[in-house]
Amino acid sequence: MEAVGDRFSGPLRQRQDTTEIRIRPQHVAEVMRTVNEDDAFRFEILADLCGVDTGTEMQVVYHLWSALTPDWLRVIVEGLSRDDPRVPSVTFLWNGAEWAEREAYDMFGIIFEGNRDLRRIYMPPDYTSFPLRKDFLLPDDAARSPGEGFRHVEQPHQPGESLRRPVLRQGTSEQQ
Amino acid sequence: MTDPTIIRSLDDPDIWVETPATIYDAVPPYPPRTEREAEFYDLRDGEMLLNLGPQHPSTHGVLRVVLKIDGEKVVDLDPVLGYLHRGVEKICENGDWHHAISNCDPLEYVASMFSEAMPVMVAEKLLDLPVPRRAEYIRVLCWELNRISSHALYMGWQALDLGGLTPILYSFIERDEIVEMLAAITGQRLLFNYLRIGGVNGDLNHDFLSRLGDWMSRAGAQLEASTRLLNENEIFVRRMSGLGVVDRETALRTCLSGPVLRATGVPYDVRRAHPYSVYPELDFDIPTRTEGDSYARYLLHIDEVRESIRIIDQALHEMPDGPIMAKIPRLIRIPPARAWVAIESPRGQYGCYGMSDGSDQPFRLRIHDPSFFNLQAMTDMLPGNLIADSMAIMASLDPIMGGIDK
Repeated sequence: MEAVGDRFSGPLRQRQDTTEIRIRPQHVAEVMRTVNEDDAFRFEILADLCGVDTGTEMQVVYHLWSALTPDWLRVIVEGLSRDDPRVPSVTFLWNGAEWAEREAYDMFGIIFEGNRDLRRIYMPPDYTSFPLRKDFLLPDDAARSPGEGFRHVEQPHQPGESLRRPVLRQGTSEQQ
Repeated sequence: MTDPTIIRSLDDPDIWVETPATIYDAVPPYPPRTEREAEFYDLRDGEMLLNLGPQHPSTHGVLRVVLKIDGEKVVDLDPVLGYLHRGVEKICENGDWHHAISNCDPLEYVASMFSEAMPVMVAEKLLDLPVPRRAEYIRVLCWELNRISSHALYMGWQALDLGGLTPILYSFIERDEIVEMLAAITGQRLLFNYLRIGGVNGDLNHDFLSRLGDWMSRAGAQLEASTRLLNENEIFVRRMSGLGVVDRETALRTCLSGPVLRATGVPYDVRRAHPYSVYPELDFDIPTRTEGDSYARYLLHIDEVRESIRIIDQALHEMPDGPIMAKIPRLIRIPPARAWVAIESPRGQYGCYGMSDGSDQPFRLRIHDPSFFNLQAMTDMLPGNLIADSMAIMASLDPIMGGIDK
């Protein structure tokens, strides 16, 4: 780890069968290329890529596997701001990371610079929030969704009348 | 019921037609979001878009793929995911650690012993909790049985997607016997909810063991009999070989795992590459092939079933006595930590990254599904093939939409 040791933003940790290093977003491309291509590491398999919202900052976590060591390598990219999280894409090393990055974008709003197809992957294109963020609350989302959390599909209605009815929220007594 | 909208004709993008807005429209009714999307939906002369799914039977669930075709050849494709998205990671964060087990069950719904193991194993690793040896052996037994039932389904589906109806009927004989067997100890046929943090829910019983002994006495012969239908079948071999070829370097760069990766010659199987549970004590091989095509993937599944039968045999003979649950409190509070576990599911490396914050709920539970990454290889494999062959390639990747869409 000497080759990239001065790029670490935190101490190297070892717990159970995982080695954990922490870096800043500007060093992602360099560190990932080194651990992937340097003959001393040869972390060929990108086992996972995911986003994390710690409540105060965003992180991107990579898990890598090499045949040379029995340990997993966990690379945590820390210090992404919650307002505008940006991190370089690793699709130049593993093009299979494309969808994983799209997923992290969809769920956390993390922008992966260099990903050629960074759009939502699960949620509909007109969706506006990022579900796995810690400030995302389920009742708020239901109230904001296009169906407003309510579908009166089985009620009789006049031809031409909109199927959408006023939302009933807890505490109101319009029809109760 | 829905308002008609004006969309571009599928045949000629210059003609606008009135159509009821449905989810089946190949051209999305909104401006392109990325350069890649704009490039994909910009048709050249002679090209057209073909919408496949999400209800097409050969897409194994609710996968929707927009194919850009030129005549019978696929030029490019745009998979559209999310029709089965439940937000399971968010659900897990809102429940406690035990709820995560049954929430993760339907992820890999044809082999849910593997997906339900994820929150269990990650919680055990966060707690440094040793699992009783008998529980580990029971888990291995259930995993390998489930692997065989999943592979049996794969072999049937593969033939079905090529137009052969018979093999899936034979596959279902095998699969149903195993599913009934697992139902004898878990009480469920598909979504078992059997593993627990610290062990398993119930011990082996007479019903299970008698069914298993009965099945094991003829499993090998039955496997040979049902694979003889396809292995030497000239039509099948010609359709499958040379189809959807992927080489070693591309497979690693595309983050493939499981049989799709091993068919390219990489002996990466988490059971050996990063041993977990009691797999280091068991004697089995990791079959690999070097062709990297659909036929190699098919043959690899059969080899894996043979290895699984070997493992089941050993697990039964070496099954120790003892407790099946570690002593843990009902309400688990896990001190703040991070852990990553991976296991080998029938489709590849199933991973889970768990973070705890000291409460009884997971702070973050990331599920890594192998089908999600394997399916992505479709974008490289399909272009240049016929539409009919693209079904065969898709089937050979063995995607399970429950895990892909989460």
